[in-house]
Amino acid sequence: MAAIFPALVLLLWETLSRAGVLSEDGFSRPSHWAPALVKALGDGTLLTQTLETFGAAFQAVLIASILGIALGAVLGLFRPLERAAQLTVDALRPIPSVALIPLSLLVFGFSREMSAAVAAFACFWPILIVTTASVRGVDPRLLEVGRMLGFSSGKIILKLALPAALPGILVGVRVAAGIAIVVTVTTEIVTNPRGLGHGMTMAAQGLQPDLVWATLIWIGIVGWLVNWGLLRIK
Amino acid sequence: MKRILWGGAGLGLFCLLLLAWKLAADAKLLNPLWFPGPDRSFAKLWEWIATGALWQPLGATVWRMFAGWLAACAVGIALGAAIASSSLARKLLQPSAEFLRPLPASAVLPPAILVLGLSDAMIVFVVAFGCVWPILLGAIQGFRSLEPRLVEVSRLMNFSPWKKAWAFQLPSALPDIFAGMRVSIAIALIVTVASEMLSSQPGIGYLMLVAARAFRSADIFAGIIVLGALGFAANYGIQRLEDHLLRWRAG
Amino acid sequence: MLEVKNLDVAFGGSEVLRDLSFTVAEHEFVCLVGPSGCGKTTLLRVLAGLTAPTSGQVRFHGQTIAIVFQDYGRALLPWRTVSGNVALALEARGIPGAEHAGRVLPLLQKLNLGDHADKFPLQLSGGMQQRLQIARCLAQEPQVLLMDEPFGSLDAITRQELQDEVARLARDERRTVVFVTHDLEEAIYLGDRVIALAANPGRIAEIVDIELARPRSQLATREDPRFLQYRHRLFKHLAH
Repeated sequence: MAAIFPALVLLLWETLSRAGVLSEDGFSRPSHWAPALVKALGDGTLLTQTLETFGAAFQAVLIASILGIALGAVLGLFRPLERAAQLTVDALRPIPSVALIPLSLLVFGFSREMSAAVAAFACFWPILIVTTASVRGVDPRLLEVGRMLGFSSGKIILKLALPAALPGILVGVRVAAGIAIVVTVTTEIVTNPRGLGHGMTMAAQGLQPDLVWATLIWIGIVGWLVNWGLLRIK
Repeated sequence: MKRILWGGAGLGLFCLLLLAWKLAADAKLLNPLWFPGPDRSFAKLWEWIATGALWQPLGATVWRMFAGWLAACAVGIALGAAIASSSLARKLLQPSAEFLRPLPASAVLPPAILVLGLSDAMIVFVVAFGCVWPILLGAIQGFRSLEPRLVEVSRLMNFSPWKKAWAFQLPSALPDIFAGMRVSIAIALIVTVASEMLSSQPGIGYLMLVAARAFRSADIFAGIIVLGALGFAANYGIQRLEDHLLRWRAG
Repeated sequence: MLEVKNLDVAFGGSEVLRDLSFTVAEHEFVCLVGPSGCGKTTLLRVLAGLTAPTSGQVRFHGQTIAIVFQDYGRALLPWRTVSGNVALALEARGIPGAEHAGRVLPLLQKLNLGDHADKFPLQLSGGMQQRLQIARCLAQEPQVLLMDEPFGSLDAITRQELQDEVARLARDERRTVVFVTHDLEEAIYLGDRVIALAANPGRIAEIVDIELARPRSQLATREDPRFLQYRHRLFKHLAH
């Protein structure tokens, strides 16, 4: 049932393209990009690019998680700090991740680290906010027990607060993972160091509309799969 | 009173961080080529404002962002209302919308450039395309979830489907629609800036990319500040609009 | 005004109402009482046209039926003000917007909501919200007003106030009312006639004409010996 509409769209696209209504240079057509998709999958280019993109995204989530969870735990435990930090967070969070691309280019040049850095900035905020809320939501009784037992602040965080807040934190990391993919692809499209975005821009510049559309479809599939997979991890 | 105190503390912390940035930059702890201090960054921003160099690119970015976002709102709400009213339409179309939602909107840029060329219209289209899905899905959700008792009231008063949609379903759907709009406005800003960078269309994004190639780091940071402010303002605007339109909620 | 003939209602194999027949005359205040689960709400919904009967007929000799729901919070438009909610009924009748203010305000004043015209429902107390729903229903100018345990979720004092207000309005505006309640004393206090329903399945157990003088008063009427007689007579129908 869900496939009916896409099937109709593809049919219409194919027909209009053959009738000359949609320009072949720009629009391509399903009967052209489908084989291009298969070929790109077969010769490994799409897969290599996908791995590049995923690699950068993974780096981003890792960095963002370490920083976000650490800072989030501290802010979650010390309410005064959280309230003081509110202004800074509200000032920095609205900065769109793409705004950091020029800076990242300057520092990292055209590399996987460049995309990872930009995506890490985007991922940091949801993780920080969710971790703060989750840690703050930990039953204060549990933390009192830690203090009674003479634990240092670090130990309280590590042994009590974080494990208790874990379910909430994982939600944040899940959201961040989704964001990481999107931002990484976006960064690649704009600056094309490597990865799927790079592949697409190269195809566009090489006047290969079939490959452009094929890559787009692939990105869509990958994006949907990642999303679906993340929801399943629950 | 307490809020003012905490606001003050927040401002204090922020200034402290700015100071730390300045000290690190002065002490050349950070590569000065990449990280000018806050003083140079703000000075550059001030220069942009004073010479008027800011307004044209900013205007272009803002116009594209809002044109695309507003188009997405109009289409998303209207289409969402229509789809919500028919369970057949929902089963046919909602899966496709759900599939397209996680697609990075910027991924549509290269095909869009192929089809529409390097132009304002292309950017606005891509922005609209990226923004429409959260709003559409929010609208479908909102229009479907009218309180059943009110559905009965509408029936008993013999209202036409249009009146029912306008007087009952739309106000009831607003919270869900606003949730979609808030997500979308963030997407709008990102996609606009990304589009400008990729297509070299005049705007803040392009300005910053050019600055990067010329190693003008103060310009880059000034741009970051401008975009951060734009993001903040957009979010704030939506929040205020939502607070006004939804002021009937308890509290 | 309203004729019910051999009404049968069944849901998914279980009989809810069986062979109900009664009439409601113009300007009459009829109360339906019965133990919980006897189908009184279902009956009201059939009368309103919200639920279809399995067999039998409901003949309504008028154009508009309004129903006051028990869960008033869910039946009001939270995004419209008090005036706006009442105006909804006027919009349903096709009355032009210019006339709305002139009609809404007097109605609100009749229900003691005049000072709250610009508030939103969520800013009102439970009793006021129910009054608002009643105001909106009255603004529909219905030939029959149905009320489904309207005071069930309100405290005793508010309940008594609203009972008297409804009785007064029904009399002043010469309305036909079908009032459902599980509270026997409320039914006797308000009704010209009380129809007692038995449960499982719902059917008419007894119909009693209430000959108590109007206007009725919470203290005097409830101590009237005839009130107590009616109560004795109908009490057995409330047991399961």
